[in-house]
Amino acid sequence: MRDTALSLDVQATGVAAVDLRRKPRLGEKVIQSFLLICAVTSIFTTVGIVYELARESLHFFTRQSWENTNKRIVADVGAQAATFEVSQGGAVLREGDIVRLDEEVMQIVSRTSDALTVARGQQGTAAAAHDAGATLFKASRATLREFFTSTKWNPQIGHFGVLPLVISTLITSSIAMLVALPLGLSTAIYLSEYASERARKTLKPILEVLAGIPTVVYGYFALTFMTPLLRSILGRDVVEVYNMASAGIVMGILILPMVTSMSEDALSAVPNALRQAAYAMGATRVETALQVVVPAAFSGLAAAFIVSISRAIGETMIVAIAAGAGPAFTFNPFQAAETMTGHIVRISGGDISYDSIDYNSIFAIGLLLFFMTLTLNVISQCIVRRYREVY
Amino acid sequence: MNKLTRDVLLVGLTLVALLVTACGGSAPTTAPTEAPTEAPAEAPAEAPTEEAPVEPSGKGVSLPAVNPLELEGDIIAAGSSTVYPLAEAMAERFKNEGFAGNITVDSIGSGAGFERFCVAAESDISNASRPIKESEVKSCQENGREPIEFRVGTDALAVVVNPENDFVANVTMEQLALIFSDQAETWTDVNPEWPDEPIQRFIPGTDSGTFDYFVEEVFDENEEPILSAANTQLSEDDNVLVQGVSGSPYAIGFFGYAYYAENEDKLKVLSIEGVEPSAENVDNGSYPLARPLFIYSTAEIMQQKPQVAGFINFFLTYVNEEIRAVGYFPASEEALDASRQTWLDAMGQ
Amino acid sequence: MKSISANGAFEENIPQRRRTGQIWHTLFQASTIVGIIFLSALLYSVLNQTFGLVAIENQVDPAALAVGGVSVEELSKEQLVAVLQEHVSKGLFRRFEYDRPFAQRSREEVYRLVWQHVVAPQAVETWSLYESIFARDEIEAAVAEEFPDATLQFRSWLNRRLLTASQSSDPEQAGIRTAILGSLWTIAITILTAFPLGVGAAIYLEEYAPDNWLTRLLQTNINNLAGVPSIIYGLLGLAIFVRALEVLTSGAMFGATDPTTANGRTILSAGMTLGLLILPLIIINAQEAIRAVPDALRRASYGLGATQWQTIWWHVLPNALPGILTGTILGVSRAIGETAPLVVVGASTFVAIDPRGPFSKFTTLPIQVFQWTARPQDEYRNLAAGAIIILLLLIITLNALAVVLRNRYSRRL
Repeated sequence: MRDTALSLDVQATGVAAVDLRRKPRLGEKVIQSFLLICAVTSIFTTVGIVYELARESLHFFTRQSWENTNKRIVADVGAQAATFEVSQGGAVLREGDIVRLDEEVMQIVSRTSDALTVARGQQGTAAAAHDAGATLFKASRATLREFFTSTKWNPQIGHFGVLPLVISTLITSSIAMLVALPLGLSTAIYLSEYASERARKTLKPILEVLAGIPTVVYGYFALTFMTPLLRSILGRDVVEVYNMASAGIVMGILILPMVTSMSEDALSAVPNALRQAAYAMGATRVETALQVVVPAAFSGLAAAFIVSISRAIGETMIVAIAAGAGPAFTFNPFQAAETMTGHIVRISGGDISYDSIDYNSIFAIGLLLFFMTLTLNVISQCIVRRYREVY
Repeated sequence: MNKLTRDVLLVGLTLVALLVTACGGSAPTTAPTEAPTEAPAEAPAEAPTEEAPVEPSGKGVSLPAVNPLELEGDIIAAGSSTVYPLAEAMAERFKNEGFAGNITVDSIGSGAGFERFCVAAESDISNASRPIKESEVKSCQENGREPIEFRVGTDALAVVVNPENDFVANVTMEQLALIFSDQAETWTDVNPEWPDEPIQRFIPGTDSGTFDYFVEEVFDENEEPILSAANTQLSEDDNVLVQGVSGSPYAIGFFGYAYYAENEDKLKVLSIEGVEPSAENVDNGSYPLARPLFIYSTAEIMQQKPQVAGFINFFLTYVNEEIRAVGYFPASEEALDASRQTWLDAMGQ
Repeated sequence: MKSISANGAFEENIPQRRRTGQIWHTLFQASTIVGIIFLSALLYSVLNQTFGLVAIENQVDPAALAVGGVSVEELSKEQLVAVLQEHVSKGLFRRFEYDRPFAQRSREEVYRLVWQHVVAPQAVETWSLYESIFARDEIEAAVAEEFPDATLQFRSWLNRRLLTASQSSDPEQAGIRTAILGSLWTIAITILTAFPLGVGAAIYLEEYAPDNWLTRLLQTNINNLAGVPSIIYGLLGLAIFVRALEVLTSGAMFGATDPTTANGRTILSAGMTLGLLILPLIIINAQEAIRAVPDALRRASYGLGATQWQTIWWHVLPNALPGILTGTILGVSRAIGETAPLVVVGASTFVAIDPRGPFSKFTTLPIQVFQWTARPQDEYRNLAAGAIIILLLLIITLNALAVVLRNRYSRRL
């Protein structure tokens, strides 16, 4: 019955028989699968990011790295000796340190100014004889506790505290937000509430131009203009050549267009009816703007702010050029202190061997950075969903 | 290997044969201005080959003339940021005089340079401002590379302060150790007559040969005090250090002399133990922080890549003409002769 | 707002509220102006360093080159060749002869060589545009005192040599040709990677995807990826493209390794890393463009018996194309300006020869600016400013193109 219903009677219509059943289209299926694969690459990207960051961070926290202490044993050491002399100079060794001579691992029980007493054959290695002149290596390991609580970052000598980098990142981002938030919101209010159509048409493209300028140009601007300006205003003694403040201020200029643009979108989305109602009640323009429109657009504004903070935290080039090249634990914004992103760039800008402590450490820092920005982004999306007013 | 490499090798080997049999020591004979593939058996026409290698003391060692126009291929060098300006200058001159291939020089620090040379086996020449370490020689050998050392010059490590600094012009080694360690926070901690301001320190990063050298000479190989000091900025890029010291009145830093020479108007150099870093003090050995500059390669690379051998030859021949302009000091004639002899030995002469 | 006074009457308080309103109005206007001021300050600081006076000193005084009382400008070609031979190194002279024999060169050419290599004018000090215009007298006095042999010249550091010369240690000779070519090669790979993947993903999400958990996951994932800092993409590129896929990215798999680098730090890695970076942007923009196509169009097409893909390919995409292109152009302009991920992936410090293909070492324009900014000598400041202008022109052109496209075609539907 189906066949007869779905085919035209040649006699009746005079045209050739046409089969109108649904045809299986293989080509369509293939194309659809291909498009699905395209969409799924985005998942691979995220998976890739998380996997690589996590893997190297795991290495970072579990590896036992050996630093060369530049100390050597003075005379041949037999397989049984528990005490032997070491050369002067080199790194400082303390009781409880794990050391390595050739392939054997030992633990220091006690020490005098030129001799060590050790427990031999630790960590599953066999006690063996060693020739004079063999170098001692000291073990160091990064622990999570040290990572988050110690205030010194220097993997070469066993200091693994990430706090100086994090504090510096937070300080520069805070300064950036102090600049960008008030200015951005005010500009957005002006553009959406006060500006004429023509003014808006000319101003918005200008702001978009600001948004497109590469960050390295902002870095150049920070070093050649902002730092000398700050130094001439506040004095060369107060403000160092590399400092967090000028990087922060310029970062604020960088994210200003983003804040303005997103805030303006949020404010424009508020229906005009609300404004008209307020005017009808006798409110002035500013009263309407500040007490009616802004609260109504709150979710969009909050989202804009949080996304901008996340952008400021992830910003690299400005701080790499202008904020300093050495981790420093300080709260003074006029001093130099390296941020998380600046550190990653400096370390990888040279050359890193794939299994060194430095290579692992940049991934650990990267993982922390990823979590910080991801959390901020998720929070902003939650806020939008929860507080969005539906009109 | 691809066709290009094969052609280059063929041409190169022929050229090397030519050069070796050519008259050694004197001015480069009429180098062929047409296409280099003309090559082969012109060789025997020139003077006896014995003239090329070691001549008795006094005359020094001379290398066979090298013509950059006839060399092709690529040369990869990487390593010390101190040696970098010198290597860059020689590479540019090599290119200006006609070398058609690609020379890349990366400034990543002596340690990282050896890493790339020995472990990754990616570079042909490793620049270093310190001698190669035992452990690095071992890792090279594990990868089938036997490093050979060429001394190319001398650096007087410049300890610099800001030009506005009027209270210190000379430091002793003990004071240096104190200034750069975590024992001193302000200038007063080092010398009570100096101002009570925090010391801003700008030092090369830990991958830098300059760093290793300083730690060896001043801290007896213990890197903890200098790395634990407060207010310290580290960078493998000496330019960043120059900017830092020139920007702050209470700053102090150290790097290769060339970086001071190029920025003399922004920096003030200190004398160490009463000795100034000058050409004579470096020559007579009285400046305590004078250190040798090296480039490393292997005989195998030099023989397989004649352009590398040619470049090293060029380097050793003309380095003294360029080194002062760069800002460093020439190595002694004996040292250069030894390097040239090493070159000849490596090429099998 | 309005206040109720003690006796219950309603005070409108209008003059004070109006004043408050005006103050706020001015504040808002001022904020807008501040944004424009910042942009001007940025442009000013760049332009200020691009043009200015330079004090030029000659390595060799031309007067000293006179032969037999005849000044160097009047010398014959043979005499000039002799002067050249006397003052430049043998190797350099040999090179000149090799490039073009002196017999074939004109007198002017030889004179130019003498000027460039023997007299060798060098800039010993530079001044900014502001100082050059407003402090001219002080500059002249300073030059007369410190560099008595120097002449003052007004120079634009943004000149043809900047564009055509390759990198050099001498600021007089340095240029951005290698960097621009590196940028162009990298962007080509970026577009090849990101455009098909991005548009494909957007089509899937808008046209085919059912409303289930997978789709929501994909959408959230893409939105999150758009907010990930660029340096994380650099780390990803380093770990995966440079290290894990070294066989592919170094070209070893194709037997096409570049002789200067046997590892994965190639243009291919850089391009793919940037491609992943701008992928979320392209997807989001393309999605919006496709969403903007009215449903009526699709229904009409189905009504005529077209399949889904036929509808998309022949009707939806052509209409969404301007929006998609806008998004792509914005993404590309972002990628051109990216520095941090490429530094992590491994751009080189001193690359003297132009990239030969996707498996070459690379350096890009923003990285060149970064390196020059880090150098303390003043001439590099000027060079960096010139390079920045080129970079800005490139990006502003792209952005303007995108805005024009968007404005022109958004009105149509």
